[in-house]
Amino acid sequence: MGNTPSTHKISAQDRAILDMKNQRDKLHQYQKRITVITDRETSIARECLTRGDKSKALLALRRKKFQESLLAKTDAQLQTLEELTASVEFAQVQKDVVFGLQQGTGVLKQIHAEMGGIENVEKLMGESEDARAYQREVSEMLRGEMSNQDEDEVEDELKKMLGVINGVKEPDAVEATVDYPNVPQQEPVYAGKLKQGGEQNTRARQRAAEPMLA
Amino acid sequence: MSQPSPSPSSTPFKFPTYHASYPPFFTLQPNTSTLTAQYRKWSRLIQRYCRHHRLYKLSLTSTIDSPLFKNTELKKRLSLQDARSVLEWMSRDEGGRRIEWVDQKGRVVDGRPREDTHDTCWVFWKRPEEWGDVIAAWVEETGQKGVVLTFYELVNGEGTRGEEFHGMDQELFRRALSTLVKRGKAQVFGGEGAEGTKFF
Repeated sequence: MGNTPSTHKISAQDRAILDMKNQRDKLHQYQKRITVITDRETSIARECLTRGDKSKALLALRRKKFQESLLAKTDAQLQTLEELTASVEFAQVQKDVVFGLQQGTGVLKQIHAEMGGIENVEKLMGESEDARAYQREVSEMLRGEMSNQDEDEVEDELKKMLGVINGVKEPDAVEATVDYPNVPQQEPVYAGKLKQGGEQNTRARQRAAEPMLA
Repeated sequence: MSQPSPSPSSTPFKFPTYHASYPPFFTLQPNTSTLTAQYRKWSRLIQRYCRHHRLYKLSLTSTIDSPLFKNTELKKRLSLQDARSVLEWMSRDEGGRRIEWVDQKGRVVDGRPREDTHDTCWVFWKRPEEWGDVIAAWVEETGQKGVVLTFYELVNGEGTRGEEFHGMDQELFRRALSTLVKRGKAQVFGGEGAEGTKFF
């Protein structure tokens, strides 16, 4: 809480507050005393009444009344005193708050000064933008210097990598499987007979197949 | 929070069984180890008794006939001399320095126990530094660090009612605070009878 040893001193304000609080304590003690007195007067009045001494009882009650009026007065004084003490203590708290604000503002200002003001930030942002633009330009230029063939090769490699990642076989493996023709469905027929016999034979075959299906 | 202080003698003090029904307890035993155990038991009993009745000082001549040292049912009592040696043991390091002899003017007395000088003593069921801790903890808990507090409001004020240190002996309170001052936890200022303190 920022309690440096230097704050471990008793200030004049502390002494003033102590004085007020001591005054309050004295009033408290005074009230205690008065309460004792009023209690005693009440019991005296009761005693006198049982003895039949009415005038003495009345006197005791009057005294009690007077003490009670004192009590009410001290109550008011006590309240004033307590309010004053509370105000002083609150003012002290306020002082601390203002001090804290001051410290904070100071630090903030100092940091801003270290940043070099708005112009500096603006300048810095401009410079940063320039630097990034320059970087973009360099990238463009580097890309432009590559030949089309190089680009193709790069693209091919990228595709290959993607293929591997997606689980597709490498293009080399696909090429290795030769595309053979299908096995012929018909018996080989002599080329000379092919002219008419070819059709007859197919029909005969169909006929032979039908009863089997039926 | 500290336990609420029972108002003095609101409930009768419950004596332990060895005090209520064990006659040899009232005679100091010759065997050293038995004697040490006996001293320890008496010490605990005296501290508990004083805590219960909120006694901060004990005068031997005026308590020797009290139920603490005298069991009327068993017709047994601890002799004045034996009571003094119990207290003497308590005042030493082995007894935890739980008592401190003082003369009539309240000054601390040292040396061998003598009948004429060693009659009254502080009974520290809490040593001054332990009291200091209790008070400092209360100030901390109630957020009153850095606040000026009068001695009166700490010991007799409405705010500390129910705290263990409420109504405690003024002089012991002062000593408790001075242990805090020594440790840099508090400052005491103001004139005689109107002293205040500030905790850090």
